[in-house]
Amino acid sequence: MAILTESGNAIALNGANRSRAALTSSRIRVVVVALVVVFSIVTWKLIDLGRTVADTTIEGVTRDVITASRPTILDRNGLEMAVDIRVPSLFAEPRRIVDVNEAVTKLRTVLPDLDPAWLTKRLTGDKGFVWIKRELTPAIEERIFNLGVPGLDFLTESKRFYPSGQETSHIMGAVNIDNQGTMGIEKHLDDDGLAMLQSVGLARNAEMTPVDLAIDLRVQHVMYDQLNDALTRYKAIAAAAVMMDIRTGEIVGMVSLPDFDPNAPSTLFEDYNGQKNQRFNRITSGIYELGSTFKTVTVAAALDAGAVKMTDQFDARYGIKFGRFTIDDFHGKHRVLSLPEVYKYSSNIGTIRVMQAMGKDNFRDFLTRTGFDTSVPFELPEMRAPTVPKQFSEIVAATSSFGHGLSISPLHMARAMAGFMNEGCMLPPTIYKRSEAEARPLCQQVVSPQTSKDIRYLMRLNALEGSGTRMNKFANGYRVGGKTGTAEKVVGRAYSASKTLAVFASGFPLDNPRYAMVVLVDEPQSENPQSGHTAGWNAGEVTGRIVQRIAPMLGISPDFSQSLDDELVPAELR
Amino acid sequence: MLKTLNAILLFVSLAGVVGVYALKYSVEDLATDKGRLERKIDRQNAELSLLQADWAYLNQPAHVAPIVVRHQAALGLEATRQEQFLGFDALPMRPAALDNAALNSLFETLASGVDPIGQIIEAN
Repeated sequence: MAILTESGNAIALNGANRSRAALTSSRIRVVVVALVVVFSIVTWKLIDLGRTVADTTIEGVTRDVITASRPTILDRNGLEMAVDIRVPSLFAEPRRIVDVNEAVTKLRTVLPDLDPAWLTKRLTGDKGFVWIKRELTPAIEERIFNLGVPGLDFLTESKRFYPSGQETSHIMGAVNIDNQGTMGIEKHLDDDGLAMLQSVGLARNAEMTPVDLAIDLRVQHVMYDQLNDALTRYKAIAAAAVMMDIRTGEIVGMVSLPDFDPNAPSTLFEDYNGQKNQRFNRITSGIYELGSTFKTVTVAAALDAGAVKMTDQFDARYGIKFGRFTIDDFHGKHRVLSLPEVYKYSSNIGTIRVMQAMGKDNFRDFLTRTGFDTSVPFELPEMRAPTVPKQFSEIVAATSSFGHGLSISPLHMARAMAGFMNEGCMLPPTIYKRSEAEARPLCQQVVSPQTSKDIRYLMRLNALEGSGTRMNKFANGYRVGGKTGTAEKVVGRAYSASKTLAVFASGFPLDNPRYAMVVLVDEPQSENPQSGHTAGWNAGEVTGRIVQRIAPMLGISPDFSQSLDDELVPAELR
Repeated sequence: MLKTLNAILLFVSLAGVVGVYALKYSVEDLATDKGRLERKIDRQNAELSLLQADWAYLNQPAHVAPIVVRHQAALGLEATRQEQFLGFDALPMRPAALDNAALNSLFETLASGVDPIGQIIEAN
C-alpha cells in the first residue's frame, strides 16, 4: 500500500507479514549461498582427491610389474626349463614408521647383515616406499612379520629359475632383476606381448599358460656333455651343435660352448681363456666359412638343375688355375672321378667342375632360393646376417662351391641339410613345438624329391667309405650320413693351415630321414699323435657319439642290415 | 501415539548404533582374518614354487647324469651298445607250457585204480 505525503511524495508502508516474508527470503538466500559455498568446497576437494595419484610404486617401479610372473617354459616332454619362484621382498614406508631407532634395532635381530647407518638413513624421511631387502625366504618373512614393526611390509616377487642351468643357456637367455627378458627365448616372449601383459598387471602365475618348446632336454644334455668332452679331448677353443627335426623344422637341441649361467646372467660377459666376447651363441649369431660341408649344397644345386647326373665323370687330374691362384685337392686323387667319388673324396676340383656345369649365376640363384644370403627366420633375437657376395666372379663362385668366400651360420646349414633330406621341402626352424600338419604350409620346395634321394645316398656313402667313417664307427646301425668340412680360418689376412674350423653336417636315419645335425669344433688339435686333425676325426666323432646316445631316446632302433644301405643306391649306379 | 512412535524410533536407532558398532568390529576381524589367510596362501604358494623348482631341478638330465657317473663303477653301469637292442622277432619262441591240471587229474585217476586209457582200448 502507498500513501501520499503532504509534500506529494509517495511512501511505501509494509505490513508485518510482508516484512517477515522479505526477511525469510533473504535468509533463504544466505542459506543457499552458504550451501553452494560448502558444496563447491566439497566438490573441489573431491575433484582434488580424484586427481591425486597415490604413489604406490616402490622406487619407481609399479607393483604390478614387480609381482608380475613369467610363464613356465617346458621342453617337448614337459620337463621344466624355466620356472618362477615366488619370493617375499621387504619394503618400508618411512612416513609410517614411528620410531626409526626401534625399527632398526628390531630389524637387525632378524637381518644382522644390514648396515645400521644405511638402514637408519633409509627409514627416515618422508619417502613413499623403499626397498629394504629383496628376495628373502618365507621363514625370514615370518620372523620379520612377528616383530610387529609398523610401516614394514612384504611384496611377493617372482624370481626366474632355470633348473637346467648352463645346458640351456643360449636357448633360455636371461631376465633382469625386474623380470624382463634380455636375451634368448625370454626376450622373444617379451617382444611377443608378455611385457605388455605384465605392465597392465595381467601376468599372474595361475593365469599363464606354459610355453612348450621343441627342445628335448635329454638330447640337449647329451649334446652338451659330448661337446664339453670335445673341448677337452681335442683342445678346441669352442664347440657347437644344433639338431633339427626335418619334418617339422623344430630345433630339438642347440648347444654352443663356451656358454654362461642363465641364473647369473653376468657370467655372459666373463672372459674365456683370457679372451673377451666368446660366450655368444655360435649357432645363430656366429657366421663361418663352413668349408667342404658346402659341397652338399653345390652338388644338390647341380643335380637339381639337371646340369650333372649321378653317373657323370669329372676331370680332377690337375688343379684349376684362376689367374695366379691354383685350387687343388686336399686329399688329392688326381684322376677322373665320378660324382659320388667327388663327394666321397671331397674333391675341390671336382666340385668346381660340378658348379661350372650349372653355371656360376645359376649357382648364385640357388643360394638365394635356399635362403643362404639372408638371416634365417628364427625366434631367438641373437641373429647375425650371413655374408654372401651379391655377384659371383669366376673365382668366388669356385671357392664358394666348396664353402670358402661366403660366411653363413650353422643354422643355415642345418636348415638346408634338413630341406635336402626331407624330399626337398625346406622348413623355417622354430624353437616352439610344431606338428607336421602345422609345418606343411610352411614348406618351401628347394630341390626335387629325386635330388633329395641322391643326396641321401651321397651322405650315407660318405659315412660308409669317405670322411665319415670315424663317425659311423660310433653310430653304427643308426644309418647316419653326412659331409665333413675342415675350413681353414682366416688369421690376419691369410688362411691358416693350423687354425681350422671342423664341421660335420649330417642326417639320420637316412633310410627314413628324421633329424639333421650340424656339429662345429673350433680349432681342434689331434687327440693323440696317431690321429688326424681334420673334421672326420673330431666333429665327425662327436656326431657319432651324440647319435649313439640319442638315437635310442628318440625311438630309432639300430639296424645293421645291408639292404637298407643298398636301397639308398640310385638305380643307375647299381 | 507420538510418544510410542518416538520410543520405537529411539529404540531402533539405539539398536542401529549397536548393530553398526558390532558390524564394524566383526568386519575388522574378518579383514584381519582375510589378511592372515592371504599371507598364508602367499607363503604356501611361495613354498610350493620352491618345491616345484626343486622337483624340476631334481628331474633334469643335468642333475641325474652326474649321479649315474658317480655310481658307474660300483654298479657296473655302461651306455647301451647298438648290439644290445633287439626286436621282438629276434626273441626265441617260448615253449608251449604243459597242461598241468589235466596231467594231475590223470595221475589221480590212475592212483585210484581206474585206467582211463585202458578203458578206451577195451571199449573198442
